[in-house]
Amino acid sequence: MSSPQPFAVAAATTAALRSFEAQWLARQSDSPRREPWSARDPLSALRAEAMGRFLRLGLPTTRDESWRYTNLRRLAAESFIDAPRAPAGSVGAADALDSWRIGERLATIPMVNGFPVLPAHTNAGARIDAGSNYFEINSLRELSRVNPDLVARHLAPLSDADGARWGLLNTALFTDGLYLKISGNLAAPLVIVHTAAADRPGTIAYPRVIVDAAPGSNATIIEHHVQRGEWTPLCNSATQLALGQDAAIEHYRIFATGSACTHIDSLDVLQQRGSRCKQFTIALGGGLVRASLDAHLNEPGACLDSYSLLVGHEERQVDCVNIATHHAAHTRSQQTARSIASGTSRVIFNSKVVVEAGAVQAESQQSCRGLLLSDSAEIDSRPQLEIHADEVKCAHGATTGRLDPDMLFYMLSRGLDRGTAQSLLIYAFLADALTGMSLSAARSAIEDALIAQLPDSQVLRSFR
Amino acid sequence: MLLRISDLSARVAGKEILKGINLEVEAGEVHAIMGPNGSGKSTLAQVLAGREDYEVTGGSVLFEGRDLLALPAEERARAGLFLGFQYPVEIPGVNNVYLLKAALNAKRKVAGEPEVDAYEFLALIKQKMKLMQMSETFLTRGVNEGFSGGEKKRNEVLQMLVLEPKLAILDETDSGLDIDALKVVSTGVNSLRDSKRAVVLVTHYQRLLDYIVPDKVHVLSAGRILKSGDRSLALELERRGYDWVKESKVA
Repeated sequence: MSSPQPFAVAAATTAALRSFEAQWLARQSDSPRREPWSARDPLSALRAEAMGRFLRLGLPTTRDESWRYTNLRRLAAESFIDAPRAPAGSVGAADALDSWRIGERLATIPMVNGFPVLPAHTNAGARIDAGSNYFEINSLRELSRVNPDLVARHLAPLSDADGARWGLLNTALFTDGLYLKISGNLAAPLVIVHTAAADRPGTIAYPRVIVDAAPGSNATIIEHHVQRGEWTPLCNSATQLALGQDAAIEHYRIFATGSACTHIDSLDVLQQRGSRCKQFTIALGGGLVRASLDAHLNEPGACLDSYSLLVGHEERQVDCVNIATHHAAHTRSQQTARSIASGTSRVIFNSKVVVEAGAVQAESQQSCRGLLLSDSAEIDSRPQLEIHADEVKCAHGATTGRLDPDMLFYMLSRGLDRGTAQSLLIYAFLADALTGMSLSAARSAIEDALIAQLPDSQVLRSFR
Repeated sequence: MLLRISDLSARVAGKEILKGINLEVEAGEVHAIMGPNGSGKSTLAQVLAGREDYEVTGGSVLFEGRDLLALPAEERARAGLFLGFQYPVEIPGVNNVYLLKAALNAKRKVAGEPEVDAYEFLALIKQKMKLMQMSETFLTRGVNEGFSGGEKKRNEVLQMLVLEPKLAILDETDSGLDIDALKVVSTGVNSLRDSKRAVVLVTHYQRLLDYIVPDKVHVLSAGRILKSGDRSLALELERRGYDWVKESKVA
């Protein structure tokens, strides 16, 4: 049996860190021979490295640039145990989806607290034919055992950036997850329903998804985060999208948990030559939602379109951090964020475009708009640019305000009641982000859920 | 009496703009309110339509005998008052037809009528668009979104034709129009003229009045109506300029 790594103890200064360290140690001693982290293969080495770095760096604080607006002090004082693999009365993702009417889909993959619920025969990996094209679903636990090199390739390289801190922890501690291999053109979306469910407070889940899109492939993937029951684990999820040459992925992550749920999600996108990624981040639920996007346009012709629809409702806090790094010439990124805050909610949207030296002819656009619906709500939008190359075209803009009084008066002067006029304007405000959705069924499901959190939702429905 | 304005005064951003307006409009009449820039013409129009940030400091306005100033903007509209804006605002994301249909239904609801049938509505709007010589692509666009100045004005008149108000206040609907567009807009306005309705045209120029012949003409200057007359007053104004009215008043 390999001995526990010596790095940990001295660094674990908060209750949360001590509990994460305890989780790590438990994984080491659980079943050292059968489990993948027996320290000899590259995957185990990588995960040990991730744990070591995480404990050394600690939880991010408001002194860290990308965490300025979200204070985790209270969370750091808590301790966490693993969320149950099969909480009482769980699974059953179907009802969550039916209410979403996402409609036709190739497959629905339920994940409970990060554990995929796959039919028994698919545990070792399934190849599912969809016409002439196919995709494969694998349990990460199984894949780590049979092909640790492949998994390690997707998890590397590790980053010390403060925005990637929770991603490091996930890399170290996930026990299962999903590996999706996409080949060819998938006509209908793949839907992953993440259910968060716990039987007590003080638990944490580490959902992990890897999407490996083969060159030239094309797919739509929806990750839908929902909650079951009263308690939810702290959800520390991480997803990687790896796009091969000329691959096209449309990815949705939808946060729709309850108001007591804390969700920290890290999304990494790696793009090869000519690949196109369209990414939608939709925050409709949760008490605290921290969603990061770290996109790397690694080769010429790579193209990223990111849309963030952030709805602050009641006491919710949504903290979204997007970074698009242009590593190669002729790459293009576009970020559109529409934030709405009502009640005492707070919405933060930080976006950054980095153009590395040599990424000539790179193009980027950032459009961040915020709409405040109450006096006690707050929106912070901050588009940033960091350019190390010549001959680039980078544009950005940020505005935050209330409903335009001229527009409102115009509509009132036509006889519309105030509620209807306001709702139409709010809806119009979001339209830029919604119209980018290629999938009309997903769009209308998302619109329904959005509208339900707006004032005068009845009226708005009648206009669709 | 359709509209009776008595000694109306109003403030915008702390500045007194209207200083005692008196005006009576009977059903069936067309009035023209003329005057130099800054005289208060647009303020009067906005105050009548119910703009909240314009503060009424005195006087009264009766619309069919009701206290108009006590009503919020939307209720004034449903009661049959229409303001054609000088600068119609663009509302991207809100469809032209949605807005118009919602407006018509709001009015019908107050009148105790059912919602308009979708097919009939489309037929109605297409007929009116033809009159206004508007392309059907307007149907799918956002409210005034990307419209030229002239297109926006036509859209205002189109809305007026669909809503059939009892009193239409058209604030410089003629400004920025070329002669062909002016004729189209005038045809639209004239098509609404009947014994039950009235139109108040706010304008700088006599030119519009060649096409929409007013029953009465008023000259507004520094927040007061200095002179009223028939159509010949407009022609005289064009010849002699606004200074003539101001001077003759002083003298």
